[in-house]
Amino acid sequence: MAYQLYRNTALGNSLQVILLQFDKAINSALAQRVRNRVNFRSFLNMYRFCDNLWTFILNDVEFREVTKFIKVDEAKIVDCDDKITGSNTTE
Amino acid sequence: MASAPWPERVPRLLARRLPSYPPPPPTVGLPSMEQEETYLELYLDQCSAQDGLAPPRSPLFSPVAPYDMYILNASNPDTAFNSNPEVKETSGDFSSVDLSFLPDEVTQENKDQPVISKHETEENSESQSPQSRLPSPSEQDVGLGLNSSSLSNSHSQLHPGDTDSVQPPPEKPNSDSLSLASITPMTPMTPISECCGIVPQLQNIVSTVNLACKLDLKKIALQAKNAEYNPKRFAAVIMRIREPRTTALIFSSGKMVCTGAKSEEQSRLAARKYARVVQKLGFPARFLDFKIQNMVGSCDVRFPIRLEGLVLTHQQFSSYEPELFPGLIYRMVKPRIVLLIFVSGKVVLTGAKERSEIYEAFENIYPILKGFKKA
Repeated sequence: MAYQLYRNTALGNSLQVILLQFDKAINSALAQRVRNRVNFRSFLNMYRFCDNLWTFILNDVEFREVTKFIKVDEAKIVDCDDKITGSNTTE
Repeated sequence: MASAPWPERVPRLLARRLPSYPPPPPTVGLPSMEQEETYLELYLDQCSAQDGLAPPRSPLFSPVAPYDMYILNASNPDTAFNSNPEVKETSGDFSSVDLSFLPDEVTQENKDQPVISKHETEENSESQSPQSRLPSPSEQDVGLGLNSSSLSNSHSQLHPGDTDSVQPPPEKPNSDSLSLASITPMTPMTPISECCGIVPQLQNIVSTVNLACKLDLKKIALQAKNAEYNPKRFAAVIMRIREPRTTALIFSSGKMVCTGAKSEEQSRLAARKYARVVQKLGFPARFLDFKIQNMVGSCDVRFPIRLEGLVLTHQQFSSYEPELFPGLIYRMVKPRIVLLIFVSGKVVLTGAKERSEIYEAFENIYPILKGFKKA
């Protein structure tokens, strides 16, 4: 259980700046540089739409790409406003 | 269940009951009719169970007696319930007037909530069943209809088998308890006898209910499962449940619309499930004025129809614009039902508030359609 107490230090502040730069960079990278298409098929456990944000919880997902095929027991997809971020949790 | 006051409902049911009492069920198309009967029985039984509010009395043997009691109870539930919403929270007398429009389950949950914090819906009804067994025999006593112990016994056997039934099946210690099973042959039977066994199947039921408390839609959308809320587009939360497969529109005023159910009982059950979801999120939801607003049915007459001929002879009722819509729109006056009649012989009936209106409308249109059979 680490305290976030030390974020307001020189080191902490500069790291936070970098985090902001990371946010911008990752957003533009995903928008410009990612071109592949992934199909997935699963059972939809739950969906939610609030504040223009879609949240899906899927069970027994099969992610298919041309090159790969991944099976996952549970997946959570958070979808906001033209930009899609996804996070997988297996099992 | 019905939002109309008691005296209105009862005479109609009584009127239907008396002529139909002797006739035996027909053999044609029986399996589907049994299903319809089951639904209707359960629906009506539940109505009677909820309607029956009087304290346990000796069993009533004449139709007149329950009617009188209902009249007596009619004034009490309306006033008492509306004026004293907290009474239902208190434990004790289930035959208190507050239960008139509130099914046992929801009142039970209100009472059980301080005791049982989190339960699944099934567990809730299980825990309520011993308590609600108390009122149900009395309710059954007071229930509408002629007494028919055998019918009521078979009726109680239907309950355990039906997962949709929200009222837990009461053990009927009183063999003379009344049931609505005797009414049910009336409505589904008449279509069979005249329309060669074609019975319109209900496809959609739209109902409304008042949860009687202001709702925070954002909180509901954030915490409930399977909810959508886009206030820019529509000012309500759109929630769905899987069983019965329905969609509800929940407004911040506390009013709710429930669509997609295939029977009256399912619609009521679904509406109660939504109310329970809202209740579990912390709102003091109640279940007031459940009313079925629209019922849609469909069936197939199994022969092609000359729509042009039909619109020529029935022009004051029909409108047929094949370039606009391929079906003929027949607006029947009595009962006030709109039918969409297609060349293939498929018929869609909508605008009904009662199942019987759909059946009656189809009975009325069938001979007309037979007259316009193609080739």
